[in-house]
Amino acid sequence: MTADAAAFAAPAAKVERGARLGIVAGRLWSAALFALLGFLVLYPVAMLVLGALTNTNPVVDGFGVFDLSLANFVRVLGNPNVHLALANSLIACTGGTALAVLIGLTFSWIVVRTNTPWRGFVAAVSLIPLFVPPLVAGVAWSILGSPKSGLINTMLGWAGISWRIDLYSMAGLIVVFGMYYAPYVYMFTASALRNMDPSLEEAAEIAGVSPLRTLFTVTFPLIAPAIVSGMLLSFIVMLGIYGIPAVLGAPADIPVLTTYIFKLTNWSPPLYSTAAAVAIILMVVTGALVVLQQHVLAGRSFTTVSGKAFRPRVIELGSWRWLTFGLALVYLFTVVVLPTLALIVAAFRRFLFIPNAASLFDMRHYSLVHFDSIFDNPLTMRSIWNTMEVGLATAILGGIIAFAIGYTVHRSHAPARRAIDLVATLPVAIPGLVIGVAYLWAWVGLPGGLYGTIWILVLAFVARFMPDTMKSLSTSFLQIHRELEEAAWVCGKGRIATIRTIVLPLARPGTVAAMTLLFILAIRELGSSLFLYTSDTMVMAVLLLDYYEGGNTGKAAAFSLVQTVLLAAVIGIAGWLSRGRNAQASVGRAG
Amino acid sequence: MKSMLTALAVISVTAIPATAQDFGPPELIAAAKKEGRLVYYTANFAEVEQEVIKAFNKRFPEIKVEMVRAPGGQLITRVKTEAAAGKLAADVVDHSDRALMRDLVGLFQDYAPPNGKDYLPDSLISPKLWPRVTLVWSIAYNSALVKNPPKNWMDLTKPEYGNRQIGQVIAPSGGTTWTRVMFERQVLGEEYWKKQAVTNPVLYPSGAPMSDALVRGEIAIGPLLYNIVYPKKRDGAPLEIFFAPEGAPVNPYASGVPSTAKNPNAAKLFLNWCLSAEGQTFMIKELGNLTSLRQPPIYPEGFDPKVVKVWLPNFDQYVELHASWVEDWNKIYGYRQ
Repeated sequence: MTADAAAFAAPAAKVERGARLGIVAGRLWSAALFALLGFLVLYPVAMLVLGALTNTNPVVDGFGVFDLSLANFVRVLGNPNVHLALANSLIACTGGTALAVLIGLTFSWIVVRTNTPWRGFVAAVSLIPLFVPPLVAGVAWSILGSPKSGLINTMLGWAGISWRIDLYSMAGLIVVFGMYYAPYVYMFTASALRNMDPSLEEAAEIAGVSPLRTLFTVTFPLIAPAIVSGMLLSFIVMLGIYGIPAVLGAPADIPVLTTYIFKLTNWSPPLYSTAAAVAIILMVVTGALVVLQQHVLAGRSFTTVSGKAFRPRVIELGSWRWLTFGLALVYLFTVVVLPTLALIVAAFRRFLFIPNAASLFDMRHYSLVHFDSIFDNPLTMRSIWNTMEVGLATAILGGIIAFAIGYTVHRSHAPARRAIDLVATLPVAIPGLVIGVAYLWAWVGLPGGLYGTIWILVLAFVARFMPDTMKSLSTSFLQIHRELEEAAWVCGKGRIATIRTIVLPLARPGTVAAMTLLFILAIRELGSSLFLYTSDTMVMAVLLLDYYEGGNTGKAAAFSLVQTVLLAAVIGIAGWLSRGRNAQASVGRAG
Repeated sequence: MKSMLTALAVISVTAIPATAQDFGPPELIAAAKKEGRLVYYTANFAEVEQEVIKAFNKRFPEIKVEMVRAPGGQLITRVKTEAAAGKLAADVVDHSDRALMRDLVGLFQDYAPPNGKDYLPDSLISPKLWPRVTLVWSIAYNSALVKNPPKNWMDLTKPEYGNRQIGQVIAPSGGTTWTRVMFERQVLGEEYWKKQAVTNPVLYPSGAPMSDALVRGEIAIGPLLYNIVYPKKRDGAPLEIFFAPEGAPVNPYASGVPSTAKNPNAAKLFLNWCLSAEGQTFMIKELGNLTSLRQPPIYPEGFDPKVVKVWLPNFDQYVELHASWVEDWNKIYGYRQ
């Protein structure tokens, strides 16, 4: 070997050794993530599958006595009531999603791309339904839209209008689903519209394309991943919601899968194995949707954040801006003011029997009795404190884990990253009520005293909402062009340093949004809390259900108001704290 | 004679104030106070049990009661799973479905309250499990909506109450409803369900949301546990409640102290108080329960033992008939299971 060749070979060997080390590190990293997901997801899901294949409780009866059979599946698949519940779920969620996309996309466009007055206010309004637990939404809309005793009908009667509203119907379910899950579509699409390079729209404008056509042929196709992600997430979240169909669907005898599963777990004796089998059907439906989404998005580039500086393009609407503002006000009135008024009436009224408009305005019926009662209960304050602790811990831990998995899946070449993505997405398909018992079966026997602490709730929420957090984060990852990371590597930065100095700052708004979403979801989560809370770790969602199941809408409404105010305060503080950082991040991205 | 005894019992409860010693020997009370807390698993409604805990704490403020409330099926799953994992946190388990509790009797330690002999033997499914509460079915209606109220169970089959005016709690909801369903078939006749179902009642998963619907005017009439509707009526809701002359089905709970209880003395003291004449009187007067004491210290408002016959199911039939009769009920009422 010549001296030149030796000089050339030495760095080559170094590079090769580095590459080998990189492969080993990648494998170790993938193995570590798999182990973590195995504990958080696969083990409880295995318990669920085992439960569906047997008629035994794995913890009580031990693992040795299983009589595995497909009998539960056969029974469930042949049960016309399951078919009906499945069909109702699909109809309600499809209709609800269509409405959510219409509302969410309209508002994100109004807020980000138009000169509508008070856009910040409109943006805040668009997110308010996220704070509202589904059970509360259901109760509020039942107070408003019941065909027999609804306040809207009372007022229509007072106004001499003979037409009546009936939200105890499939149409009612679709409307309420659409209104309350529009923020999911809004969050994804607003972020994408804000981060979109306007040069393509400008090109369309120069080419003489009308603004409306540009919207449908350039803007919306460009943010397709955000629309599809928001759509998919809202559909899946609706599929797993219990509170709204329980309150609005049950009186009209419209069963959906979640209410059917809840029934199975609530009967005496409870039929968990059948519930698990129904839940697995739900998993298959959702799994098919995830595959469909990947198929739709496969092979297309949706990069909209690159190294170039830009500002979102704002369309001057002229006097039409008052129409868009009017739309926002109508939405605000329908989704926020009306149900809040219904909750206020219920929370302050001693009894919710309102035969006519005069009775509604008769102040003798109002008092603080429900508030006195809930604050007289020591569990109220304890549940508030526990909920805040659990929400914060879930947001931090879940945010970190989802970032690690999201980065691995979208930005690395680590082995088995597709499988990691699939496993992390699995919990999306499992209704909380059923996964709750699976977590109990899986984790109650673990040594180390996890059971009975808030940490078992935190782990359950992190696992359960991993897909939501991942979807929220993946939009950020998809939008950051690889050229930015490549530039860092060219400058000699390592993987960790690149993540710290490039990816993390650019993805920070998305990460903060994902963590906020996780906080909200954790605070509202009922299903998986039901089996994991103990007397020391009571959370607000469980206490709210107790009030509702206790047959006292007044107390449930009063507690809902407390919960809503607390959530709004916490989110407001979080938003205020992260405002400066987000602005910095935006500047960094623009630079 | 019976009413005289009742009157005497009432006088004895109201005239002679109980002392702490009436709820157990001094050493038990001292040990309970030293433990200072207990974990209480119950299937009863949380807000009702908060009242019980508050009343207990008036007598024993040193003992903190930490409650875990869950619907019947979920509570049983939790108890079974925790017990199998060696992590049963409950010091007291209190459940409405005596059949499900009988299967778990091995989990409980020997326990009997000081006044154990005063209880009706039929209300016990095991010497370890006691009827801490005894719930009774009544018929309630919204007095602002119903001008011609029903007077008995059979009236609930009348076509004039059709068109979804009546509410019904579903048969598979739990032990208390199963008791009512048994009563309807065994006492009111084999055809009662069919006749009643013709009125097309609104079905509810449990009594609490149904009682709320009754107050709101979503439904106008319905059979409900007295302890769900009585506090609402007491507080001014537009409700009337009556006990029908054909009979009042009652469901005693089964409550006991698990062998693994970490605070067994506090648990026993809590149950002793609940089962005492003072505890039972409180629950009858304030919460609208009945009692399984041979001599009730008091009756709930509107309950006249001379007119209304208490109906307690035969426990063997309570267990044996459950699956097939609930299936029949589901078919007749068109309830999807």
